[in-house]
Amino acid sequence: MNTILNEKKEFPMLEAVNLTKKYEDGLLALDDVNFKVHQGEIYAMLGGNGAGKTTTINIFLNLIEPTSGETKINGIVTHQQPLEAKKHVSFVSENVMLYPEFTALQNLDFFTRLGGKTNLTKDDYRQVLLRVGLQEDAHSKKLKGFSKGMRQKCGIAIAILKNSPTILLDEPTSGLDPKAGLEFMTLLDELRDEGKSILMSTHDIFRAKEIANTIGIMNNGKLVMQRSKAELENADLEKLYVEYMAGYMEEVA
Amino acid sequence: MFRLLVEKELKNIIQSPKFLATFLTCSFLILLSIGIGINEYFNMMEQYNTAKNLAKTEMAQARSWMALSAKAFREPDPMQIFSAGVNYDIGRYSIVHERQDSKLQNSVYSDDPIFAVFRYMDFTFIVTVVFSLFAILFTYNTVNGERENGTMRLVFSNAIPRSTFISAKFVGSWLGLVIPLLVPILVGLLLLVVFKVPLSAAHWIKIIMLISTSVLYLTFFIAFGILISAVTKYSSVSFMILLVSWITLVFIIPRIGVMTASQFISVPTVAELESQKDSFSKARWEKHYGEIEKVWRARNAEMNGMSEADRQSYREENEYKWFEEDDKVRNEVQKEITEYSSKLSDDVRNRKATLENLALNISRISPASSFQLAAMNLSTSDINLKNRYEKEIQNFRQTFSTFTQKKQKESGGQAGMFRISIDSQSGVKISSGRDESSLNLREVPKFTQPSHTISQAVVPTIIDIGLMMFFTLFSFGGAFFSFNKYDLR
Amino acid sequence: MLSLLIKKELKEIIGSSKFVYSFAVSALLILITFYVGAKNYQINKSQYDAAVAENIRSMSGVTDWRMINHKIFLPPLPLASLVSGISNDVGRNIGMQGRGELIAKDSKYNEEPIFAVFRFLDLNFLFQIILSLFAILFCYNAVNGEKERGTLRLVFSNAIPRDTFILGKVLGSTIALILPLLVPMLIGFLLLLVLGVPMSFEDWMKLFLIIVTGFLLFSVFINLSVFVSIITKNSATSFLLLLVTWIFFVLVIPKTSVLIAGRAVNVPLIDELNTKKNQFSMQLNREHFNSLSGFKPANKDNFMQEFQQFMEKNNQAREEKTKSFNEKLNRERINRQEVQHAVALNLARISPSASFSLAASSFAGTSLNLVSNYREQADNYQKQFAKFQQEKTGMTSGGGGMMFVIRTDGDKKPPEINPAELPKFEFKPASFSASLGSGLIDIGLLFVFNIIFFAAAYLRFLKFDLR
Ligand SMILES: Nc1ncnc2c1ncn2[C@@H]1O[C@H](COP(=O)(O)OP(=O)(O)OP(=O)(O)O)[C@@H](O)[C@H]1O
Ligand SMILES: [Mg+2]
Repeated sequence: MNTILNEKKEFPMLEAVNLTKKYEDGLLALDDVNFKVHQGEIYAMLGGNGAGKTTTINIFLNLIEPTSGETKINGIVTHQQPLEAKKHVSFVSENVMLYPEFTALQNLDFFTRLGGKTNLTKDDYRQVLLRVGLQEDAHSKKLKGFSKGMRQKCGIAIAILKNSPTILLDEPTSGLDPKAGLEFMTLLDELRDEGKSILMSTHDIFRAKEIANTIGIMNNGKLVMQRSKAELENADLEKLYVEYMAGYMEEVA
Repeated sequence: MFRLLVEKELKNIIQSPKFLATFLTCSFLILLSIGIGINEYFNMMEQYNTAKNLAKTEMAQARSWMALSAKAFREPDPMQIFSAGVNYDIGRYSIVHERQDSKLQNSVYSDDPIFAVFRYMDFTFIVTVVFSLFAILFTYNTVNGERENGTMRLVFSNAIPRSTFISAKFVGSWLGLVIPLLVPILVGLLLLVVFKVPLSAAHWIKIIMLISTSVLYLTFFIAFGILISAVTKYSSVSFMILLVSWITLVFIIPRIGVMTASQFISVPTVAELESQKDSFSKARWEKHYGEIEKVWRARNAEMNGMSEADRQSYREENEYKWFEEDDKVRNEVQKEITEYSSKLSDDVRNRKATLENLALNISRISPASSFQLAAMNLSTSDINLKNRYEKEIQNFRQTFSTFTQKKQKESGGQAGMFRISIDSQSGVKISSGRDESSLNLREVPKFTQPSHTISQAVVPTIIDIGLMMFFTLFSFGGAFFSFNKYDLR
Repeated sequence: MLSLLIKKELKEIIGSSKFVYSFAVSALLILITFYVGAKNYQINKSQYDAAVAENIRSMSGVTDWRMINHKIFLPPLPLASLVSGISNDVGRNIGMQGRGELIAKDSKYNEEPIFAVFRFLDLNFLFQIILSLFAILFCYNAVNGEKERGTLRLVFSNAIPRDTFILGKVLGSTIALILPLLVPMLIGFLLLLVLGVPMSFEDWMKLFLIIVTGFLLFSVFINLSVFVSIITKNSATSFLLLLVTWIFFVLVIPKTSVLIAGRAVNVPLIDELNTKKNQFSMQLNREHFNSLSGFKPANKDNFMQEFQQFMEKNNQAREEKTKSFNEKLNRERINRQEVQHAVALNLARISPSASFSLAASSFAGTSLNLVSNYREQADNYQKQFAKFQQEKTGMTSGGGGMMFVIRTDGDKKPPEINPAELPKFEFKPASFSASLGSGLIDIGLLFVFNIIFFAAAYLRFLKFDLR
């Protein structure tokens, strides 16, 4: 691996070590995946449908157990001390689902409290909702009438409010309108500047190149390419992606 | 953390649109059932008093002590407001007479079968059927529903122990369902006070126990719903399983229990039993009258050769003695018959008890039967109600007939019957006891309702309450255990 | 087009795992119902036979027909085990005497309250509770479910008329749900045959009618569910609404209407009647005894016979008076009862479930008519019995109490009676046409319910928001 990292903390905030996952049906969804995300960095995972991105994030969240290897959050091995590890992470899924009978504010209240932030007020929630671009009149409406993008914004707001040092994002921009997508990128930039470590899976090659410190491409459970922003400066990422995905190039991580 | 989850669960239940509908329906049904119960109780009470008074006037018309018969009535118990049990199925009273086996007759349903057409709807019924259904309706997707709508992942991206989550689910659902249902129940209790239903302290204790048992029953279904939603992936599947289980537990098992038991143990019917008693008593009387015939022939023989006037005076002189003698023998015969028939009845009662035990034990597989049985026991409308009364009435019959016999002797009349003697010489002669005046009924013993203490009502419920607790704990434990391995994605 | 839609509906329902589950449960229950019904019939039959035999046995050794303690019993009927109605609530045993009012005692539930506690599993229960739930379960999201899943938009992106769609929905669901249920029903019929339940041709016809009526109720619930799934936005709401309706139809309406009728129409207490009757007969008895002393035998050699004739004449006069007195009282009560019944049943008929239940019990001969039917036949038998006693002894027995004839002058015992000579009581259930007559109104009502709900669904769907 030839990534040059900008060291701020001794150890990476998010780390996958020899991560392997074989599902019960025998499918090898992750095959010896290794990567690190340091403080103040964004790591973008690219890869086709079924490449193993969501599986990776699920293991970080201990929603499933790795077959071998491990994931660490803030140096804590997630499947050994899941509760300890999860104190340092927030998460936005590719299709944010919230309680349909709760209003946006109620959902925010519940989930931020659940994340351990008990001193926030309604005004804080409103502020963040506005920051992620949810129109004011939707704040007190029940979630069951929300569009996908609106739900996505709520999910992002929850992650922001939780204010944890690391953030896992599974295709966070899916369903966002272009304006909201752009605003989200700015938001990510700000969060990185605050020192957060972000692991994001995405299908948006251009945005990934624009914002990520490191980009990894996954194919059939293998991390087939991993390069820093600097290394990709002049490369045609789209071409690289297609080539790696086609399988005739492989870079051993 | 736990609190937060519980609060969320509560809010989730109370804010859902189905909550209002179910809450209103349940409240309506509870109040309706209690209202009807109160109305029905007062109605029964009025009937009871009228019938008792009628029985008094009827007694006053008796002309001899031996002909006097009483009626022992079952007094309505205000607890029937909560559980009608077998109240309407078993007879309201029994005739009490030395010569007649006492048994409860004239049940409300046989007097007015229209009420039997759609049966009764009481509080216990509402709890058994409706509460359980609604408990299922609110819990069938507690766990797998969160998985399906994706909130589970978000929840567990936080530092939440699974045990906290599942416990909070349970506590939250419990509070969300039980507290609202307590409101109409309390209003119902208020109705009892407002309408001045005569309730003793013992009644209140039983009512409180009954309500606690209802809550326990509801708790079971909440735990069971959570269990099923924690062992299945899809809420549609858990819903089906729960609905089928609900039908099975509430409707099928209780019925199957009784029917299975009746396939194994056969109990002779009253009809058969009574024919047996009849033929015994007939044979016994026949023998007795054969003997009497001889005795009378001997008595007549004594008069052989006497003149008509002598005969007459001899007869008058001895008649009372003869009647006395006859009476004594007759009483012995009656005693024998009574003994025989109570032995037969006991046999049948024992067989019935075996049948009932088997039936109830089979049906106790279902907490719904346990609940109903406990509710009936607490409301003293259980299956043994009939036995309790028949036993008490049997005792009363003893007292009553001892009393009438004594009175009969004192008054000097002869045994209730009349004798028609036809003689080729003197034609028809009817002797029907000596006094024709009305009887002084003031001293006649009164039937007292069988005593049934609180502990007698409560003790039999222990097994049922215990079983319900066991099933509840089992379900909750199962939910807890399987959620520990639940696939959170 | 329609057939395509129906086929889709069929495939969708029958292919669902929900169907497999619930069909298995329903089929099992249907079979259990028939099996248990047959078994119960047999148990009741053997109990009945035992009682009859014991009744005859108790007459052996008796020398005078007036001294027998004869009883008649309501025999178990095969259909009553399948639709119990009120058959377990009516008194079954009647002590038979040559004169006097007959009283049926000992209902099954009074005798064995254990059965009253949990009740029986019968076809009435099956259709009212289980199968109607089954219908709701499959149709509660018939329309709004498709909308939720987004398939509705796809369907109507084709050239499909709305009425074809809704017709296909209802027909498809009805066929898909009813046809499979016919299989266990037929097996159930077979079970009756195999277990040797003696069903007459009329019984089969009646059973067939019961099943048909049951499926009419079933399709009422299908139509109702489709209708509700059209007027509600989401399937959760429609399910809840249907469940509440179901509770009202099955439980609340029938029961409250009976209670309302009980309040609205006063029926004199039976105890009141009995007291009046007793008082009257006591008075007659007194008169009777006073008159006895007036007997003067005309012929000293044949006085016994003469006395009997005298008694009999006297008794008959007394009997007539009592009868007309009792009848008047009974008539009054029965008239009031009939008004009460009419109010109760007509109110209850707001609910299709109640209509079904009434029709089914009419066909099974276990409706309220069973009481009057039994009473009538018992009264007729009483006449027959009285005539028999009259022929044998010149007298009829009655008036309560046992009768013993003691001869203090004769010395040879008279010959024993032969119980086999006794006329047999044979209970005949209401004829097919009679029960059809009394069930017709309910069948008609079920049809009306079907039409109303279907029409409502149809009309509402024409204006349904397809988005
Ligand atoms: N529970 C499971 N059992 C078996 N195989 C699974 C399971 N979940 C996921 N998979 C398989 O694992 C592989 C990786 O899936 P994953 O969801 O991680 O893909 P992804 O990269 O997130 O794809 P996408 O871009 O479509 O979201 C896929 O082939 C998928 O079919
Ligand atoms: Mg994915």
